[in-house]
Amino acid sequence: MSLTVEQVKQRNKDLIKEVLEVYPDKTAKRRAKHLGTFEEGKPDCGVKSNIKSVPGVMTIRGCAYAGSKGVVWGPIKDMIHISHGPVGCGQYSWASRRNYYIGTTGIDTFVTMQFTSDFQEKDIVFGGDKKLEKIIDEIQELFPLNHGITVQSECPIGLIGDDIEAVSKKKNKEYNGHTIVPVRCEGFRGVSQSLGHHIANDAVRDWIFDKAGDKHPEFQTTPYDVAIIGDYNIGGDAWSSRILLEEMGLRVIAQWSGDGSLAELENTPKAKLNVLHCYRSMNYISRHLEEKYGVPWVEYNFFGPTKIAESLRTIANFFDDKIKEGAERVIAKYQPLMQAVIDKYRPRLEGKKVMLYVGGLRPRHVIGAYEDLGMEIVGTGYEFGHNDDYQRTTHYVKDGTLIYDDVTGFEFEKFVEAVQPDLVGSGIKEKYVFQKMGVPFRQMHSWDYSGPYHGYDGFAIFARDMDMAINNPVWGLTKAPWKSAA
Amino acid sequence: MSDLRQIAFYGKGGIGKSTTSQNTLAALAEMGQKILIVGCDPKADSTRLILHSKAQDTILSLAADAGSVEDLELDDVMKVGYRDIRCVESGGPEPGVGCAGRGVITSINFLEEEGAYDGVDYVSYDVLGDVVCGGFAMPIRENKAQEIYIVMSGEMMAMYAANNISKGILKYANSGGVRLGGLVCNERQTDKEYELAESLAKKLGTTLIHFVPRDNIVQHAELRRMTVLEYAPDSKQAGEYRELAQKVHANKGNGTIPTPITMDELEDLLMEHGIMKQVDESQVGKSAAELAA
Amino acid sequence: MSQNAEKVLDHFNLFREPEYTNLFENKRKEFEFMPPDAQVEEVREWAKTAEYQEKNFAREALVVNPAKACQPLGAVFAAVGFEGTIPFVHGSQGCVAYYRSHFSRHFKEPTSCVSSSMTEDAAVFGGLNNMIDGLANTYNMYKPKMIAVSTTCMAEVIGDDLNAFIKTSKEKGSIPEEYDVPFAHTPAFVGSHITGYDNVMKGILQHFWDGKAGTVPALERKPNESINFLGGFDGYTVGNLREIKRIFGLFGIDYTIIGDNSDVWDTPTDGEFRMYDGGTTLEQTANSLNAKATISMQEFCTEKTLPFIAEHGQEVVALNHPIGVKGTDKLLMEISRLTGKAIPAELEKERGRLVDAIADSTAHIHGQKFAIYGDPDLCYGLAEFLLELGAEPTHVLATNGGKAWEKKMQELFDSSPFGKNCKVYPGKDLWHMRSLLFTDPVDFLIGNTYGKYLERDTGTPLIRIGFPIFDRHHKHRYPVWGYQGGLNVLVWILDRMFDAIDANTNIPAKTDYSFDIIR
Repeated sequence: MSLTVEQVKQRNKDLIKEVLEVYPDKTAKRRAKHLGTFEEGKPDCGVKSNIKSVPGVMTIRGCAYAGSKGVVWGPIKDMIHISHGPVGCGQYSWASRRNYYIGTTGIDTFVTMQFTSDFQEKDIVFGGDKKLEKIIDEIQELFPLNHGITVQSECPIGLIGDDIEAVSKKKNKEYNGHTIVPVRCEGFRGVSQSLGHHIANDAVRDWIFDKAGDKHPEFQTTPYDVAIIGDYNIGGDAWSSRILLEEMGLRVIAQWSGDGSLAELENTPKAKLNVLHCYRSMNYISRHLEEKYGVPWVEYNFFGPTKIAESLRTIANFFDDKIKEGAERVIAKYQPLMQAVIDKYRPRLEGKKVMLYVGGLRPRHVIGAYEDLGMEIVGTGYEFGHNDDYQRTTHYVKDGTLIYDDVTGFEFEKFVEAVQPDLVGSGIKEKYVFQKMGVPFRQMHSWDYSGPYHGYDGFAIFARDMDMAINNPVWGLTKAPWKSAA
Repeated sequence: MSDLRQIAFYGKGGIGKSTTSQNTLAALAEMGQKILIVGCDPKADSTRLILHSKAQDTILSLAADAGSVEDLELDDVMKVGYRDIRCVESGGPEPGVGCAGRGVITSINFLEEEGAYDGVDYVSYDVLGDVVCGGFAMPIRENKAQEIYIVMSGEMMAMYAANNISKGILKYANSGGVRLGGLVCNERQTDKEYELAESLAKKLGTTLIHFVPRDNIVQHAELRRMTVLEYAPDSKQAGEYRELAQKVHANKGNGTIPTPITMDELEDLLMEHGIMKQVDESQVGKSAAELAA
Repeated sequence: MSQNAEKVLDHFNLFREPEYTNLFENKRKEFEFMPPDAQVEEVREWAKTAEYQEKNFAREALVVNPAKACQPLGAVFAAVGFEGTIPFVHGSQGCVAYYRSHFSRHFKEPTSCVSSSMTEDAAVFGGLNNMIDGLANTYNMYKPKMIAVSTTCMAEVIGDDLNAFIKTSKEKGSIPEEYDVPFAHTPAFVGSHITGYDNVMKGILQHFWDGKAGTVPALERKPNESINFLGGFDGYTVGNLREIKRIFGLFGIDYTIIGDNSDVWDTPTDGEFRMYDGGTTLEQTANSLNAKATISMQEFCTEKTLPFIAEHGQEVVALNHPIGVKGTDKLLMEISRLTGKAIPAELEKERGRLVDAIADSTAHIHGQKFAIYGDPDLCYGLAEFLLELGAEPTHVLATNGGKAWEKKMQELFDSSPFGKNCKVYPGKDLWHMRSLLFTDPVDFLIGNTYGKYLERDTGTPLIRIGFPIFDRHHKHRYPVWGYQGGLNVLVWILDRMFDAIDANTNIPAKTDYSFDIIR
C-alpha cells in the first residue's frame, strides 16, 4: 500500500489532471497554477498564490473585513470595533473566533460583543458619515471605559464614498485625543482575508503609532522586553506561549492581538525584539517597527516540542547568556512532560497521514507537531498565503507533498477521496463534509473549541485531540453491519 | 397593463432634459393621456414645471425621515399637477455623499410595489445625465422603460453623452426589451446643428425624432415654474412640443437597438460636418504659448 | 507546571492554575493600562441602573448585539430547500464564507453555497463577467439541478441587474438556455434574514409560475386539492418539517412543502458526503401553483410571498410560528377547513397528551416571568404558549420586528390576563434587553445562543430556543411545531427551571431543605 515518492508524485499529477477535467477550459487553466506537488530542493511549492478566486467554484476564502475585524483588530479587548455597514458581517463574526481575553465584557472589554451601524437603505443613499458620528457619541456615552474605537468598513462604505477618516479625526478632537481608527477593509478589496491583514496593520501604523505618539512616557523598559506579534490567543494560545517566554527570563510587554490592550500596542515600539508567530497577518507591522523604531523581529513556531525548542533558542540568541540559559532551562523543564505525551500518544498515531488546509501560518507551522507524534503530512495548502508562505513551507514539507492553493470545495473533496488521509485539518465549512465521508477531522482554525495548542501545555492538548479524532469509535460505526464490508 | 407606455428621457446634464420632458408630457396630457412622471435626478427638478413648485418632497427624503421606505404610503410621495399629471421624485443625497444610483433603485422598487403604475397610460422616467452606474440604468432594465429618448444638442459633449447612453441601452437591449426611441435635439444654435444631429441619429441606428428650436419663451415659462404648454398654449413653441409629443405617441414599437460608435467615429463625424478641423498630431497637448513659439 | 500527560488540562482548567492566574494578574498590572478595579465596578453597577437604561434606550444610531442577520443568509436558507439546488450569491466572497460557517455552526452540517467572488474591479465595472464565469463553473463542477441566485450588498450598491446578467450568461453559453436559474435581489441593508427568505421564496415561485423570466409562457393554474406549506426561516427546520410531514400524512392529504431543507441539513454519516439531499423537486415547485391553498407558518417571513401566491388564485393562511396547544389547534383546524378532512384521532390524542403534560407541570410555570427575543413569528408563538401555561412573557423583543408585529403582539397580550404587564420591543437589540433584565427582572430568558451573555451578566437563566444555537447540540433535530413540538418546548423550559431550582437550593445546612427529590 505504501507508495514510493515517485509513485506519489505520479498519483498527484494524475489526480490534479482528473480534477481539472471538470472545469471549463478557462477555469482549468487558472486552477492548474494553484495545484501541484512539492519537489525537494525547489525554492517554493510550485504553485501560484494570492490571486483572485475563480467565481462560482466554492472557494473557502473570506474577505478583507474578516482579515481586519475578524483577525487583527477584533481581539484588542479594550477597544470597541464597529462593524460599519449592514448587520450581517458583524453578526456572522460575532464571538466566533475564540480570541480569549480577561476582562469585564461590556464595561472595560468588548471582544465578544457585536457593535454595528446596521446600515439601512437610507444610509446607503444619503451616506453614513452622520450616522457614524452619532454612533461614536453613543459609544462614548454608554461605554465610558472604552480605550478607543475602530471603524471596520464593510463593502458599501467604499462604494458610496463615505469619508470615515474625516469623521474619525473630527471625533478624535472632540473627545480630547481619544483613539479612533478608521479601517478601509471593505470586503471587496483584495482577493482574500490577506489584504485585510495588511490594511489593518497599516491602520495601526497610521492611527496608533503616527497619530498617538508616546502615550505612556512613564512606562519603564528593560533589556529583556519583547512583544508577541501575530498570536490571536485562540483558546488561550498566546497565554501558553507567553508563559514560556516569561519563564526564560523575558518580559512580554505586548500581545498582538489576542488578549491585547491598546496600551500594549502603543508601547510596542519600546520592545527590544518582536517575536512573530503569524507571519502572514503581521509581518507588515513587524517590518515597520524595525524600519521606524529599530526593533528587530524574528519568526518562531510554538507547535510541538521540536519546533518550540528550536524557537526558544532562536529567540534567546537575540539576548545575553542569562536568557540563553533560561531557554535551556525551560526546554529541560518541559522535556519530561513532552516525553510522557509522546510516549502516550505516539504509538496510537504513528504513521497516520494528515491533509491540512488552513489560513495564515498553520499549513506549515503545525507540521512539526504532527511529526513529533509520528504523523505524516501528505497534503497542505493555504487559504490566503502568498509566495513567501510557500517558500517558508519548503522547510517543513517532504518531497511529494500535494499542494493546493485556494482549494475549491470540489478539489478538496476529490483529493481527500483519492489520498485517503487518516485525518483532515481544516475549517468549520469543511468539517462536516469530511466527517460524512467517514474521515476524522479537526478544525485547525478554532482548535475545534479546544486548545490552547501553542507551547508545551498546548502540545499535550493537541496530541490528546488528534488521538480522540482519529481513534474514535464512531468511525467504526459509519457502515451498517448488514452492508457487506467489501 | 400591456397598454402602458414606459419611456425615459436621458441626456447630458444641463441640456434641458427636464424642460423638454415636462413640456412634451404636458402636451401628451393635452392629448388625453394619463401621465406619471418619475424623476430620477437627485436635484429633484423633473416635476417642478408641472407642479409649479420649487421641488417636491422626494421618496428618499421622506423615507429617511420616516425610517425606511416600508413606512411610506404612495399618497405621501405622489403629487398631482397640471392636467392631472402624477408626479413623484426619487430624490437622493446632496452632491458628494451616499449613492444616488442606489436611490433610484430603491424608489422604483417602491413605486412598483405600491402599484403607482396602475391606471396610467405613460410612465416617464427623467434620468440624470449618463448611465453612469447600475442605479442609473434601473429605468432601462426589463419591464421598465421600453423607449428611451435622448435629449442632446449639437455640442460635442452632448453628442458624446448621447453615444454613451446608447451604449447603456445596448447593454440591456438584448436581455430585455429596451429600445432607443430617438434623439431629441434641443437647439443650442451651434454650427450645422440639425445636420449633425441627423447624422448622429443615423450612426446610432435611430432617428432624430424632433428638432426643438430655441425660443426665449421657454425661459419665461420656466421662471413662472410652468411649461410653455400651460404658460403660452398658443405660442409657436407650444406647437413644437405638441409636435414632439405626437411623434413620441406615434413612435410606439418603432424603437431600435442602438449602434453606438467609437470616439474616433464621433470625431470623424464632427470633422465631416466641418465642426472640428483635422487634428494636427504635432499640435496635440501643446499650449498656446508653445504653439506660438 | 500543572499540565500532565495522564489527565490533559485544556482551557477549561489549565488557565485556573496558579502559574496562569499569576500571569494574568501581572499582565494586567504591568502592561494593560486598564482602568482601576474600583472604576470598573462603579461603571458595572451604573450600567444596571434605570438612568443607564434611559440613555441606552435613547440610542438612535448604534446597534449592540442585535438579534438579526442580513437578507442573504435567509436567501441561502430558502434556496437549499429545493432539490439539487445550489445557492449562488452574487457579490463579495467573504459573505458566503460567513453564511456557510453560520449554518454549519448551528446545524453541525455542511452548507454548500457559491459566490461570484466580486472584487475591486467588479465594483467599478459591474459583476457581469463574474456571473458569466461563475455560473459556468458552478454548473460544471457541482452539477446542480438548479442554481438560485441572490445578492450581497456590494452587488446591490453598484446596481447589478440579475435578470439581465443571467440572460447574458445564457447567451454566452455559461449554462443551457432552458436551465433553471431563479433569482432575487436581497440587499443586506433592507430588512433581515427573514426578508431574504421571503424574497428568494417569491423569486423561485415567480420563476416557475410566471414563465421563467419571460422565456416560456406562464403556467396556467389548474386547481387541485393539495396544500402548500411554507415553513419560513426556522432553526428547527429539520425537526419541524419532519413533524409537519407526519401530520399531513396522518391527515392523508396531498401536500407540498415548498423549500424542504429537512434532509440537506440532516444527512447521515455513512461514508458518503451528500452535497444535495431531499428538497422540494422542481416539478413539485411548478405544480404547487395548482394547490388549493398555501399555509405559511411564519407571516413575517412571507410578507411578499403570500400575497404573490394569493394573486395567483390560491387561498393563503398566515400563522405566527404556532407553538403549544392553541397554536397547533389553529394549524390543524386550518388544514381541516381547507381540505375538508377531519382532524385525525391520533392527533387529537397527542393534543390530550400535551394538555396532560401541561397540567402535570403547570404549578412550576404558572406566574413565572419570561423575557423572549428572536424572530418576530417565533416570539409570537412562544409568547402565545407561555400565556397558555399561565406564565407572563414580560419582555418580548425582536430586532427585526416592525410596527405590524408590535401591534399583533400587543393584541396577544391584551387577549390574556397574563399579558397585562407584558411589553413588546420592536427594533431593539440585546443591549436594550440587558437593561430591561436589570431594571425589570424576570425569572427566565428565552433566546438563542447569544443569550448566554445576558445570562452571565444578569443571572437570568437562559432557555435556548431560537437561531442560532451554537453551544448546544442537535436541538434542530427536534420539532417545536405540532403537539409533539409543544411537548419538547415544555420539557426544555421545565428542565431549565428545575436546574435553576436545584442550583438555588443546594447549599448544605443553608438552603438544601428544599433540595427535593420529588418535584
